[in-house]
Amino acid sequence: MDNQQLQVVLEMRGITKRFPGVLANDKVDLTLNAGEVLALLGENGAGKSTLMNVLIGLYRQDEGEIYLGGKRVEIHSPSDAADLGIGMVHQNFKLVRTMTVAENIILGLKDLPFIPKIQEVTKRIKALSDQYHLKVDPSAYIWQLSVGEQQRVEILKLIYRGASILILDEPTAVLTPQEAQELEHVLEILTSEGKSAIFITHKMEEVMAFSDRVLVLQQGKLIASRNTDETSPQELARLMVGREVLFRLDKEPCQPGDTVLELKDICAMDNRGLPALNDLSLEIKSGEILGIAGVAGNGQNHLAEVVTGLKKPSKGQVILNGKDVTQNSPLQMIQSGVSYIPADRIGMGAVGNMAVSENLSMKGYRKEPITRNGILQPKQITKFAKNLIELFRIATPTPATRIKFLSGGNIQKAILAREIDSCSGLMVAVYPSRGLDVGATESVRKMLLDQRQRGLAVLLISEDLDELLSISDRIAVLFDGRIMGVVPSEHVDSETLGLMMGGVPISALPDEAVS
Amino acid sequence: MKFKAWIGLTLLLIVAILVSGCTPEPEVEEPEIAPETEATEEEVAEEPTEPFRIAFVYIGPPGDLGWTFEHDRGRLMLEEEFGDLIETTYIENVEEGPDSARIMRDYAQQGYDMIFATSFGYMDHMAEVAAEFPDVIFEHCSGYKTADNMATYFGRIYQPRYLSGIVAGLMTETNSIGYVAAMEIPEVIRGLNAFTLGVRSVNPEAEVRLVWTNTWYDPVLEREAAVSLLDQGVDIIAQHQDTTEPQKAAQERGMLSIGYDSDMGQFVGDSVLTSAMWNWGTYYIDTVGKALDGTWESHQFWGSMDDDIVMLADFSGLVPQEVIDEVEAAKERILTGDDVFCGPINNQNGQEMVAEGECMSDSDMLNMSWLVEGVIGSVSQ
Amino acid sequence: MRVVFEKRQSISRQAMVLVPVLSFFAALLLGAILLLSSGANPITTYVAMLRGAFGSTYSFSETLVKAIPLMLTGLGVAVAFKMRFWNIGAEGQFVWGGIAGTFVALFLSQYIPDPLLLPAVILGGTIAGAIWAGIPAVLKAYIGVDETLTSLMLNYVAILYAQYLFYGPWRDPEGYGFPGTALFPEAAWLPRLLNRAHLGLVFAFIAALVLWFIFNRTRWGFELKIIGENKTAAEYLGIKIARNIVLALLLSGALSGLAGASEVAGLSRRLQTGFSMGYGYTAIIVAWMAQLKSIPVLFVAVLMAALLVGGDQVQLTMGLPSSVGLVLQGLILFPMLAGSLFTEYRLRIIRQKNEPSISPDQEIESELQS
Repeated sequence: MDNQQLQVVLEMRGITKRFPGVLANDKVDLTLNAGEVLALLGENGAGKSTLMNVLIGLYRQDEGEIYLGGKRVEIHSPSDAADLGIGMVHQNFKLVRTMTVAENIILGLKDLPFIPKIQEVTKRIKALSDQYHLKVDPSAYIWQLSVGEQQRVEILKLIYRGASILILDEPTAVLTPQEAQELEHVLEILTSEGKSAIFITHKMEEVMAFSDRVLVLQQGKLIASRNTDETSPQELARLMVGREVLFRLDKEPCQPGDTVLELKDICAMDNRGLPALNDLSLEIKSGEILGIAGVAGNGQNHLAEVVTGLKKPSKGQVILNGKDVTQNSPLQMIQSGVSYIPADRIGMGAVGNMAVSENLSMKGYRKEPITRNGILQPKQITKFAKNLIELFRIATPTPATRIKFLSGGNIQKAILAREIDSCSGLMVAVYPSRGLDVGATESVRKMLLDQRQRGLAVLLISEDLDELLSISDRIAVLFDGRIMGVVPSEHVDSETLGLMMGGVPISALPDEAVS
Repeated sequence: MKFKAWIGLTLLLIVAILVSGCTPEPEVEEPEIAPETEATEEEVAEEPTEPFRIAFVYIGPPGDLGWTFEHDRGRLMLEEEFGDLIETTYIENVEEGPDSARIMRDYAQQGYDMIFATSFGYMDHMAEVAAEFPDVIFEHCSGYKTADNMATYFGRIYQPRYLSGIVAGLMTETNSIGYVAAMEIPEVIRGLNAFTLGVRSVNPEAEVRLVWTNTWYDPVLEREAAVSLLDQGVDIIAQHQDTTEPQKAAQERGMLSIGYDSDMGQFVGDSVLTSAMWNWGTYYIDTVGKALDGTWESHQFWGSMDDDIVMLADFSGLVPQEVIDEVEAAKERILTGDDVFCGPINNQNGQEMVAEGECMSDSDMLNMSWLVEGVIGSVSQ
Repeated sequence: MRVVFEKRQSISRQAMVLVPVLSFFAALLLGAILLLSSGANPITTYVAMLRGAFGSTYSFSETLVKAIPLMLTGLGVAVAFKMRFWNIGAEGQFVWGGIAGTFVALFLSQYIPDPLLLPAVILGGTIAGAIWAGIPAVLKAYIGVDETLTSLMLNYVAILYAQYLFYGPWRDPEGYGFPGTALFPEAAWLPRLLNRAHLGLVFAFIAALVLWFIFNRTRWGFELKIIGENKTAAEYLGIKIARNIVLALLLSGALSGLAGASEVAGLSRRLQTGFSMGYGYTAIIVAWMAQLKSIPVLFVAVLMAALLVGGDQVQLTMGLPSSVGLVLQGLILFPMLAGSLFTEYRLRIIRQKNEPSISPDQEIESELQS
């Protein structure tokens, strides 16, 4: 690769993309050389995906230009991009499960004859898959393939269509380590033939292993560009997360009491049967907020579901107030005083088509005074709701308004109000301030701190480092279903956190980083 | 809130009814101010300007070219016979069962004088309506319930069926004949048995393969049933259905068929050798004539070939003269008293059901629920 | 330029009233075109249809006769659909209600004292309908089998089994071999209120009120509502989804079974052909048009029955072929169904600039998840 002449194939200049209230890309420049693997590194919401969606024509930039081989191009749609030799492998594959590999690869080709000569197609796919070590059977159906094989089909599809620039969105997120290694090999072959690749990632290890060069994005801005062999994971971690914490809340010193929740060697599978949590152990005491840091998709939701009884661990123990509750149902967990603020507010935390008052009573409806002998007491429901609405300052026209008409912040306040009201031991909060404006964010965080003062144990799962640093007492970093380490939030620096979030366990870090 | 929308709609409907009530619409009669008493007064006055009104309730459409087609042909014969003296109307595609009561009651209330219902499933409901309208004459085809103002009528179609069986028995080459049958009721079983007896009277080797469709009128299903029989190697298709579809299916395979209901040869072609057909017109003219001159009485009419209510249609050109001669001879035997269901007759198990020299009574025939020897197929009881 | 359907943010009161009214007129207009093309005067025909359905006490009672099974099966379907359980097996559950009611009336009458026979007939039918709906419910809730297929297929099983019974073992021995069971003993007859309109009408009204109460005033109804609206939320709130789906479906089937038992005991008083006229399928339309709400189901059922009864008048008084009546019924239904769509959604025409096809909200969402 090194001996190749540096020839610029793609240049994006001053790309700006705004969404209402969000500046997703702010004058971002990007150049890509022939035969190069470029990594785009950044936290969630840093603008990586937006930039790539602009490149393949899913979004249209508000400002800026794209040059391909020195010529200015307008990309209006993914098919424009495909014509220009740009293709993307999305995180969620776009394959038709009931069709074969060959059919999927030719699907949507423009010059396809009415009855495709599937034999020739198959032959060509075989040749390509040999050439690029992308082993896959062209006549197999997609549903028969593993996730790694499906990814190979996606890559083959792009090569078949003559793509010279491949964009890979979090390519290893779904792969086993072996498959990831194979992907690395495939990328080597591709680049040796002059094709280029851009991949979106947040994993340090991947950046170091795959890329020739790395661009770091933060809050829509290009922060740094480094050649991979001239940088270190430490530097990248600092670049990725290093910034001033926006605001700090006044908080009383932590006075931990008895252990409320203990997780012992928990393992759990995801829906595909792949391990989502690996030998995870944790402990939370009353009057303490334990923050879980990590990039989304590393097992956060599974962790929350195991603790709340929604998911049964395949191994290990959940101990609540000294009792083994591993096999408890969600209802039993609720009745043991566990509250849960889920990440998906409308999808899980609230019922959009029902009234605010009804949503507020969804935890308390089993008991008097809201129901008496199985009969609902509408007056009591309204009274209960009015009380919470006032207490938590939920802005709603009336208690009878359907909750979906409220703003995101007020929906979240309503969920919080319900969960706090019904909580008597452990509060699990997942991304509690995601998508909220500054004011709402602050009040949500204050409420969580209040619960800590009340003596509850709070498990706060967040991808927002500011949030974790400002309100949690200890921070555990989750990566690939494992705890990379637990550190007190007062003494941790962003480099250490960044490294752990990128998959470096605390034990592998030099001592001074942890102190 | 949605409740309100519905109230609005209901109000709208009510307004529409009221408005429509005020609109002068000469075509529509007011059923409420046409009570029976008035009609009888008019009858007493014997005003010739008021025609005798007759309604027919059909199970299928007259376009079926079969059962309903034949009844409608009878209705048209009535109109031709009596001209201005009567007025007829009909309703097609009326489901058997409770819903039919509404239709018949509606006719009675509209002031119809005589109502014919042409399927057995209307029987209970006609009886129910007849009890409510003693001044209206009701005639039910193929049933057994009667009242002072309700009669039944039917024909011994088994006689021409037997004759058509002779044609089939003599002309089959594979010795296998198919029979598409509608419902497992005595009427159908009787026809099937008569046909089989006809076949076996001239060809004891032949068998009759049976398929039930459980419907009177379903062109697609009737066709499929015929095709399934043809696939089993039958070379002639006979049937007890309301349409010509089985005949068409046979013709498309180059096979022969025996028609039923109407002269199906007219609609399908020469491949239909002959048909056991109905001729309701003579009966309708007779009974309506009696109603007109006031001599109508309740009755149970079961006419034979003698009465012209059932007959064998003209033979197709494919039927050789010696076959026709054989049929004519058999017809003569039947008309002179040697009816179809006279012994010896065995059932499917070879057990003798009617002994030599004995004949089945009408009541036994009306309750027939077993199949004769030579039928390949079964009934549920 | 593109045309898209958007869910309305809020449903205005005017739209709720206007849309059904407008679509009703659109329906009449469509029908008028058909009638004109077949040479009939549309106004005369509509008047005849209205008369046929509501013109006299008698015709109104006949409309009610048809409305009763539609009300009960419509309520049954609405309960299932509220749970997002696509029970299209109301027809089969209705037929089972008839079969079981007949069984009790004919074969258990000697063991049951007369005053209790009718309640036993109704109860038997109700239970049978519930069980028949329970089969797809259990299959769906515990094994995940698609309920549309199972509930539909079970209809055929029920219909053919009923046919087998009245053609075969249950055929009236004194019926000259005609298909149909013997007449029920008089103690098993459901009293008639107005002409042929029977006590089933009262059952339907009570059922509608009870359903309203269950869904608006009971803890169980509250749980059912949550399950229907959002299964993930229900699971999160600790509600037992599978068990509740089965229970709700038992209720749904019970209503259709009750309809079937009332129909045999109130109308034909025996099991015979033409016992079900596809009420269980029409019930789906009724339930949708009533937007799955119990009380409106009653009104829609009457409207639908009026359409069915009135449609016969196209033949009876206008002398048009029956197919014109059927097409007319369809034409009238179509805008009404389309109309109910417009109360929930609106059409928006978008002139394509270079804007993404995804709404900004979704974009931010996807950005956050990346």
